[in-house]
Amino acid sequence: MHIPDGYLSPQTYIPLYGVFAAAVTVAVKKVKKEVSARNIPYLGMAAAFSFIIMMFNLPIPGGTTGHAVGSAVIAILFGPWAAIVAVSVALIIQALIFGDGGITALGANCFNMAIFMPFTAYYLFSFFSFNPARKRLVYFGAFISGYLSLVMAAILTGIEFGIQPLIASSSDGKALYCPYDLKIAVPAMAIEHMLLFGIVEGLITAIIVRYFLRNEPGLIYAFRKGGKNENE
Amino acid sequence: MKNNIPPYLIRTADDQFNPAKTKRAKLSFLDKTILNSSKAVKSIYLQAENAASDNFIQNIHPRVKFISLIYMSIVVSVVSNPVTQLLITAFIFLLCIVARLKLLEVYRKIFILAFVFGFLVVLPASLNIITPGKIIFKVISLSKPSHFLIYNIPQNIGFTLNGLQVVSIVFLRVLNSVSFALLVVFTTPFPPFIKSFKMVGVPDTFLMIISLAYKYIFILSRTIEETYFAFKSRLSANINSNSIRKLIGGRIFFIFKRSMIIYQNTYYAMVSRGYKGKVILHSQNHFAVKDFVVLLIVVLSGIVFILF
Repeated sequence: MHIPDGYLSPQTYIPLYGVFAAAVTVAVKKVKKEVSARNIPYLGMAAAFSFIIMMFNLPIPGGTTGHAVGSAVIAILFGPWAAIVAVSVALIIQALIFGDGGITALGANCFNMAIFMPFTAYYLFSFFSFNPARKRLVYFGAFISGYLSLVMAAILTGIEFGIQPLIASSSDGKALYCPYDLKIAVPAMAIEHMLLFGIVEGLITAIIVRYFLRNEPGLIYAFRKGGKNENE
Repeated sequence: MKNNIPPYLIRTADDQFNPAKTKRAKLSFLDKTILNSSKAVKSIYLQAENAASDNFIQNIHPRVKFISLIYMSIVVSVVSNPVTQLLITAFIFLLCIVARLKLLEVYRKIFILAFVFGFLVVLPASLNIITPGKIIFKVISLSKPSHFLIYNIPQNIGFTLNGLQVVSIVFLRVLNSVSFALLVVFTTPFPPFIKSFKMVGVPDTFLMIISLAYKYIFILSRTIEETYFAFKSRLSANINSNSIRKLIGGRIFFIFKRSMIIYQNTYYAMVSRGYKGKVILHSQNHFAVKDFVVLLIVVLSGIVFILF
C-alpha cells in the first residue's frame, strides 16, 4: 500500500499533497476542540500507537504471518479526525526513518491510508455496530470495516497508479511513471487485498475491538458518550 | 510379528516430540513481532548514531537539507532520461562517501527497496503485453493470439526495448529517491530536521506531535520487545488459535494502556513547565556561509540534471 517515489507524476502527487495539508489542518482543529490542551500529547500517543499496531503479526493460513495497516482500528478507537493526524504522523516517520513510501508520494499515501481509509472504516463500523450490546454484530462490523476500508483504499491506490500512463507519457507513448494502466493496476491491487491483506486487516481490527469491548468498552471512541475524545 | 518392547524404547531420535520445532511452526508470529520491534529500535539507533557524527554533511543546517530533499525529490521525479538518472545516482553516492555513512549498511537497505519496488514490481511492464514495441527477447510463443476478459494476449510474448527503457527509468527513479532521502535522514538528527518543516508552513502543533510520536515509538517498541520475549520464555507448549488471538488482543490492549500512561505523564510534565495549550517552536540557528554554498551547489546540480 505504501507508494514509493517514482510511481506518481507531479500532476498526481502535488494535488494530493494539497488535499492532505487541508485535511490535517481541519483534523488538528477538530481534535483540539475535543481534547483541549491535551491534544498534542494525546495525538502524539495516538500516532505512536498507530505505528506500533503495524508491528503485531498475526498467523495466517499457509504458515505465514501478516500485519495490519491499522488505520481502521485507529479510527474506531480514536475517531476519524484523530486518525487522520495519527496515521499521517506514523506514515511520515515511516517514510523518513524506514524508507517505507516515498517523499513525493507522501501526500498520496496519507490521502489513501490516513484520510480515505479511516473515514471509510469509521462509518462502516458505525453502520454495523450501532449497539455495543450486540457483540457479535460489533465484531462483524469491526471485521468488515477493516476488510472493506483496506480493499477500497487499495482500489483507490490502483486508480492513482492506473491513470499515470494516461496523464504522464512521453511523446512516443512510453510510460514515464507507473507503467500499468487502469485495467491492470486496479484488478492487481484489488485482488491481492481482497484475498489476503484485507482479511488480515479485518481480523486484526476485530481482535482488537473484541478485546477492548470485553475489557474497557469506554475506550472505544465510537461508543463513548457524545463521541467525544476525552480520556478521563 | 508383533514384539512386546515398550514403544518409547524403539522410538528413534526423529520420532521424538520436539516442542521447539512444532512451536516454531505455529508461533512464527511471535518472532516476526519481536523482529519488527527490534528493527524499529535498530533503525532509530542507526539514524541517531549516523546523524550525530561530526562530518561536513552532518554539520550542514537541517533547513538546507530539507530544501535539498524536496528539491532533489522533484528533480528525480521529472527527469526521464536514464543517463541523467545514472548521473544523479553517482552524485548521491559521492555525497554518501563525503558523509562517511556506513555505505554497505545504507546501500543494502537502498538496493533492497529499489529492487523490490523499482524492479520486481515493474518488470512485467517490459513485456509487449503491457508496453508494445519490437520484441528483443522472446519468452513464449502461443499457437494464436487470444482475448481474455478485457485483455488482449498476443501470439508472441517477450521483452521490448521500450518496456526495458520504462523499467530502467522507474528503477533509477526509485533508487535515486530512496538514496537521497536516506542520505538526508541519516545525516540529520530527527528533531531539528522535523523543525525545518516550518519552512513550508507546517504548523508548530503538528511538528510537536511528530516529535512526541517519534519518542513514544522508541519507548513502545522496547516495551513490545520485552513483553514478547517474556511471553516466549514462559511458553512450554503449543497454543491454539483462540489463545493466539487473545494474546495479540491483550498485548495491543496493554500497549494502549501503557501509551495512555505515557501520554498523561507527558501532559503533566508539560503543564509543570508552563504549557497552556499553545506550542511555539524556537527557530534554529541562522545559515552559515557553507550552508549557502551547499544550497547553491544542490540547486545548480538540479538545474544541470533537468537540462542535460
